[in-house]
Amino acid sequence: NMLTVCFSVGYSAVALNHVIDFKEKKQEIIKPVSPSELFPSLPIVQGTSKRIKVLTRLTLVVSDPSHCNLLRSTSANIRLYDIIAVFPKTEKLFHIACTTLDVDLVCINVTEKLPFYFRRPPVNMAIDRGIYFELLYTPAIKDSTMRRYTISNAISLMQICKGKNIVISSAAERPLELRGPYDVANLGLLFGLSESEAKAAVSTNCRATMLHGETRKSACGVVYTVKKLRKVEEEETAVPACKKAKTQ
Amino acid sequence: MVRFKNRYVLCEVVSEDPRCRQCIEDRALGLAVRDAIARVHGDYGLACCSISFTVKYLNAYTGTVLLRCRKDSYRLLCSALPFVRCLESRAQRYPCSLNTLHVGGTIRTCQKFLIQYNRTQLLRLLQNCTNEEERQCIQKSLLSCSLTEEQSLSGDEEEDDGTE
Repeated sequence: NMLTVCFSVGYSAVALNHVIDFKEKKQEIIKPVSPSELFPSLPIVQGTSKRIKVLTRLTLVVSDPSHCNLLRSTSANIRLYDIIAVFPKTEKLFHIACTTLDVDLVCINVTEKLPFYFRRPPVNMAIDRGIYFELLYTPAIKDSTMRRYTISNAISLMQICKGKNIVISSAAERPLELRGPYDVANLGLLFGLSESEAKAAVSTNCRATMLHGETRKSACGVVYTVKKLRKVEEEETAVPACKKAKTQ
Repeated sequence: MVRFKNRYVLCEVVSEDPRCRQCIEDRALGLAVRDAIARVHGDYGLACCSISFTVKYLNAYTGTVLLRCRKDSYRLLCSALPFVRCLESRAQRYPCSLNTLHVGGTIRTCQKFLIQYNRTQLLRLLQNCTNEEERQCIQKSLLSCSLTEEQSLSGDEEEDDGTE
């Protein structure tokens, strides 16, 4: 039901989220629900003739460095998720997530005051690696105190990262908490983004996250070829010959 | 030449309850939007936006709303629209949300956009409808919606409830 509302409002790709919290004793990662089970035939995006993409997404709530080992384990179920997001609770984990962890998104807490301040080095490293920071907007719609925390956390993030690599998404549980893409871009203006950055936060940055997830799943390494430098030396020897030809 | 420039915001009311559509009226909607602006932007925002704020056009069948505000404060209005949670009228509260479709400088541009939007919506309904009579009805209305001088905004009203 909620997915039909998404489609009618004009989104072209939706990700279903599965949250794993490590406070409980044993957590096993279950296989994601495949979208074809939910929807026998996906409806078409408004305005184009392509089908809507439904992706699966995993969010890990980490409050301890040992929880991150799960990402490095060769559990087969983790490979089945399209996008992996991590929700760090401490400053050290934020640093680890931005610099070394193999994730696509880093979630920023919006429901309470951040226990740590953002620093520029890990944020810049995350931007270089292609990791995006995610802000939720549904708590802002529901409750007034959460709205204040959302805006203050978002603005402090903007001041450090200058509005780059931001993705705004909803954690909607009911179809009425969902907002259209134009409205979400307007919400970005409240968070301190400029208009073009806000529109990018809804469209191009999300697409880049999807591609990042796909490359993480498929690519293992990159081979980079460089032309050898011997050619330059040959050209240098050739030039004096031409000079000689001219003077003759 | 000095004249006041306005911005016209075209929205659509999205709700789950079918009774909500029937009770959409301009005063209730205006109050809901002003309340949202007051919650988000405070007294200053409410005062700025209510300089020339009215509900210009309302269509209860499709849930289309056209709001007007000053050009200087349309950003405050647009950023507060996602925070509209419910409509109150006749002592009944209906949860709903507003979906912004288009922001234009004149009513005419918004009307052109609305005609195109309604055309795409009718096409979408055409794909989903099963009854042959409904299909013909929709096709006829698709061919007939256009921008004529006399019909102005009533030319694109369609009974979507019947075919949904």
